[in-house]
Amino acid sequence: MVEGILIGLATALSFQNIIFVMMGCLAGTFIGMLPGLGPMSAIALMIPIAATLEPSAGIILMAAVYYGAIFGGSTSSILINAPGVASTVATSFDGYPMAKSGKAGKALAIGAYSSFSGGVIAALFLLVAAPSLAAVSLSFHSTDYFALMVLGLVAVAAFAGKGDMAKALLMTVVGLMLSTVGTDQTQGVPRFTLGMIDLVDGISFLLLVMATFALSEALMAILKPKGDADRLKEKEASQNLGSMAVSKQEVREMAPVIGRSSVLGFLIGVLPGAGATIASFLAYGTEQRLAGPEKGKQFGKGSVRGLSAPETANNAAATGSFVPLLTLGIPGSGTTAIMLGALIGYGIQPGPRLYIDQPEVFWSVIVSMWIGNIVLLILNLPLIPYIARVLAIPSRFLLPLILFFSLIGVYFVSFNTFDIQLMVIFAVCAVVLRILDFPMAPMILGFILGGMMEENLRRALLINDDSWSFLWERPLTLTILLIAAACLVAPFVTGKIRQMKDRAYARTTSSGD
Amino acid sequence: MPLSKDRVGGLLLLAFCVTYAFLSQQIRLLPFQENVAFHARTMPEVLSVLGIGLSLIVIVFPGSKARLDFTGYDWVKVVVFLALMSAYGFTIRPLGFIASTSLFLMIGFWLLGERRPLHLIVVAVPLVVLFWVLMTQGLDVFIEPLPTFLRGES
Repeated sequence: MVEGILIGLATALSFQNIIFVMMGCLAGTFIGMLPGLGPMSAIALMIPIAATLEPSAGIILMAAVYYGAIFGGSTSSILINAPGVASTVATSFDGYPMAKSGKAGKALAIGAYSSFSGGVIAALFLLVAAPSLAAVSLSFHSTDYFALMVLGLVAVAAFAGKGDMAKALLMTVVGLMLSTVGTDQTQGVPRFTLGMIDLVDGISFLLLVMATFALSEALMAILKPKGDADRLKEKEASQNLGSMAVSKQEVREMAPVIGRSSVLGFLIGVLPGAGATIASFLAYGTEQRLAGPEKGKQFGKGSVRGLSAPETANNAAATGSFVPLLTLGIPGSGTTAIMLGALIGYGIQPGPRLYIDQPEVFWSVIVSMWIGNIVLLILNLPLIPYIARVLAIPSRFLLPLILFFSLIGVYFVSFNTFDIQLMVIFAVCAVVLRILDFPMAPMILGFILGGMMEENLRRALLINDDSWSFLWERPLTLTILLIAAACLVAPFVTGKIRQMKDRAYARTTSSGD
Repeated sequence: MPLSKDRVGGLLLLAFCVTYAFLSQQIRLLPFQENVAFHARTMPEVLSVLGIGLSLIVIVFPGSKARLDFTGYDWVKVVVFLALMSAYGFTIRPLGFIASTSLFLMIGFWLLGERRPLHLIVVAVPLVVLFWVLMTQGLDVFIEPLPTFLRGES
């Protein structure tokens, strides 16, 4: 492990890569701060640039953009109560009230210290967990991988909540369907190409991500423009931040919260599908309960603990989500799904072999997490008063620029104008589905995993003489599939139990009356 | 059955899945492949069944009863932007990167309310030129900057 860390340090600490980490953190913060644009859009916008770099540098750049975007998202949550992404919604519960009471600088500093600590502690856990899991997963067969992919896809849908589960599953299937467009890899047969030569190679994942995230976000902002009052609020908030000093008393209050939320965030992040949003809400809820009745009342009114907990947890979860990506090659979230797509673009297949075959990529990602977090703290925090001015850029300039960067990002990779037209079509579909409240992240996950899933299923059937019995004969495969089934059933069971409890409670209170 | 957001989405995706299922039957198979357990149609067929089934579940048991509400939506502007993006795709080669992109941005700024001609030019043109220099010099990604008639190509 020490050798690995040294390899990672040597790669990540090269002058060029440090510059990329700094650039990535800054660019990520800028993009993440723009309401509506989250880490997924930020990474997608960076892929065309990352594609021109060597793999380690490209991955380091994207990872830095990831932390930067989370940091930026927290900033817009705190300053203007407009979380860029769902994972920073809980941050706004106490961050925004604190900012409204004239302590915006302090709120940003608490957020930054918490994010830093969460990220650094979780990277330590990753250092231990990733190689161990990679070693274990070397014994996995294609049947197990197929089952793991099913679990990953199902888990994302299961965490969408009981009401939205069917929609999330449906979107996952749509993503899987889109992944089948193009020439079939094993038999060379064209599928769903509609006779168009441009579709023979399939749909580019970058194109799909850009169209469904960056492009559709910008189009949604054009479709439903903000009022003048909102714009004024953004401008004012970006100009008056106040002091960034944090008192000793506040540090003492934050320390245990950071410790607990880091562990919780990391563990939730490792689970496929759970991700930073659930981690941040769970950490917030846990701290509110632990704070006791007196301190608990301050939650939602600018509590230091209430701000520190979700900020620590979402960063720790973001780091945790790299565990299944790096060790199993299975992304646990939409963001890591995009990173997986980028890695495949480099010809790198993440999974247990990555640790052995390309240690410099594996370790430099882990080491770059520390460097990224340090850069965020020492570079971005002091620069925040200036970076926050991005919120004051008029949307009449910003939105066409986002559209341009999205279109040109895809065009620069393929130099095919057909891709621009295809993006427009996908963007229209994405806007319609967004208006109808259908989630996009499961679709991307399905799209990325589709090809691998089909390949592993084909291989599993080939090894088992065309028999589907591998689904129940191999204990590990069966266990993973049973967990997937449990994920599907769990929301219904817990919902029923809650209903029964509520009914029993209503009965006791009415009989008491 | 009232049309909630979920049901409208479910119906649209049902139409998509049915079309997908129909097209999956058009995938060409070689004679010997028809009897093997896994061929080019297997995954699409499984996905078709899953997609149609899930669409029906969303339509019959919608998770939310929220209705469509289009108040405050500026549809015209979005349609114009979509047309603008499509036009950008068609003009980027004949007009060259600098002219087509500058035009795209200036029209975009104008559509969103910027009316001062000087601001339109001062924001768009230098940014496009700078971006072009950065891509060609910094990242070695070359894109033709000039329109076809200025390139001196036969």
